[in-house]
Amino acid sequence: MSFLDYVSENSTRISFLFLQHVQVVLISVGLATVVSILLAMVTERLPKTRKAALSITGTILTIPSFALFGLMIPLFGLGVAPTVLALTVYAVFPILRNAVTGLETVDASVVDAARGMGMASRQRLWRIRLPLAWPVILNGIRVATIMVVAIAAIGAAVRGPGLGELIFRGLSRMGAANALNEALAGVVAIVVVAAVMDVLFLIIGRVTTPRGLHA
Amino acid sequence: MLDISNAPDGTTDAMIRLTGVTKHYEGSDAPAVAPLTMDIRRGEFVCLVGPSGCGKTTTLRMINRLVEPTAGQIWIDGQDVTHSDPDQLRRHIGYVIQQVGLIPHMSIGQNVGIVPSMLGWDRKRISARVDELLELVGLDPSVYRSRYPKQLSGGQQQRVGVARALAADPPVMLMDEPFGAIDPITRERLQAEFLQLQERIRKTIVFVTHDVDEALRLGDRIAIFAEGSRLAQFDTPLEILTNPADDFVRTFIGEGAALRRLSLLRVGDLPASVDSGEPVDLTVGADETVAGVLEKMLMAGAERVHVAGGATLTVQDMLLATALPKHPALR
Repeated sequence: MSFLDYVSENSTRISFLFLQHVQVVLISVGLATVVSILLAMVTERLPKTRKAALSITGTILTIPSFALFGLMIPLFGLGVAPTVLALTVYAVFPILRNAVTGLETVDASVVDAARGMGMASRQRLWRIRLPLAWPVILNGIRVATIMVVAIAAIGAAVRGPGLGELIFRGLSRMGAANALNEALAGVVAIVVVAAVMDVLFLIIGRVTTPRGLHA
Repeated sequence: MLDISNAPDGTTDAMIRLTGVTKHYEGSDAPAVAPLTMDIRRGEFVCLVGPSGCGKTTTLRMINRLVEPTAGQIWIDGQDVTHSDPDQLRRHIGYVIQQVGLIPHMSIGQNVGIVPSMLGWDRKRISARVDELLELVGLDPSVYRSRYPKQLSGGQQQRVGVARALAADPPVMLMDEPFGAIDPITRERLQAEFLQLQERIRKTIVFVTHDVDEALRLGDRIAIFAEGSRLAQFDTPLEILTNPADDFVRTFIGEGAALRRLSLLRVGDLPASVDSGEPVDLTVGADETVAGVLEKMLMAGAERVHVAGGATLTVQDMLLATALPKHPALR
């Protein structure tokens, strides 16, 4: 059976796993975004804590994903929870890094002028610094998403949702009928997810970047 | 005209009063601002000038408490604001900085409306005020109010900066080298326009600059700071040029003090010489500056000039009169 025949014959299952994959990625990145921005805000006046947060989340990134998923089993069992948790943990670093950079590189004179006009620090954060840092933060979210799309495939090792299932099953039956097609379908679909997400972020970037920052 | 006498009489009409205001940064031996006492009168335009590191900007930023003083008191309009809520205080003090600091993702109209909206004005009132202010600084509201800062030139941005500082009609304006980053030609125009604007709005202005010519041109009084935040002299431009307090001031104002005075003195203030009855070549107004009249005389090749309603002067009369260091006109 050719690859295309395989795909058309199994389209229901592949598209189901495709949607699952997209969902688990979006949920994890969404959680990581909230955690990272909060962390960046909370550590504003705590430079040491901020440095620690950055190096801890950076170090986590170096743990091989297969190992991290495995370590989750005794704590969270199998399935969605350990997958989402591991992916969230991975996604925090790029978002936090960019949130910190974005907030720190906001033009100091703009903030000084706002302060001089009597804008309280919370107003400065919400009305000025976060909107100005947003394009940089969004880029961090985009990097995290692409990364997590790939790592999510490994989630199948702990029975997590998504396209990893096709790859793991295909590889484990290598030599059997359609084993290669199955694994290949998983890989191709993941590449498609990544591409779709990238386009999505381009659009989000266009829509959410405040006017006045364009050009 | 505002009466500009020399010494701060202090007691009654001080809009801004600093008493023993000091700033000491931790880990540094010398204070950034040594105990400083000065009074700035209502409606007065005061320039703080001095070399970098003399504490002029720190002094300015202590007035709206962007820098908290280590000691001393700050009074604004008779109220001790040393410990008041800084955000509330700042909403009632205009603040203009060299980098302008317009908020890039807000339109020009929104930028100008920031303080009024924080003060809870309603939309209609803010919108009317924004238009009024853009007109005031020479920007057509229908063209500019919906533009973004990036679409404006440096000079236009600073006009908006001034409009934004004036938005809630604060009695006091603090300006930190507002024209310092603007090309010389535009800067001169902005200075002239700002002087005209001040004629109308009569704000109490504290203006930091390192450019002594700018200070002489704009200030009703000039505070010259020396290194170590010593207030070397605080007086009118004319008095500073005529009687520099010490060698530092003399060096700081540089060459040409006598010539510079000519553009501050008015011909009407010169003593009338005996009218010899010879024909005059030129008639000028009493409020024209000596420099301006000399310029006209040179252009016209005139030897004698008649001051409307007053004396007739020759070039020599004018030079002799202006050379007198203790001339009554200089007091």
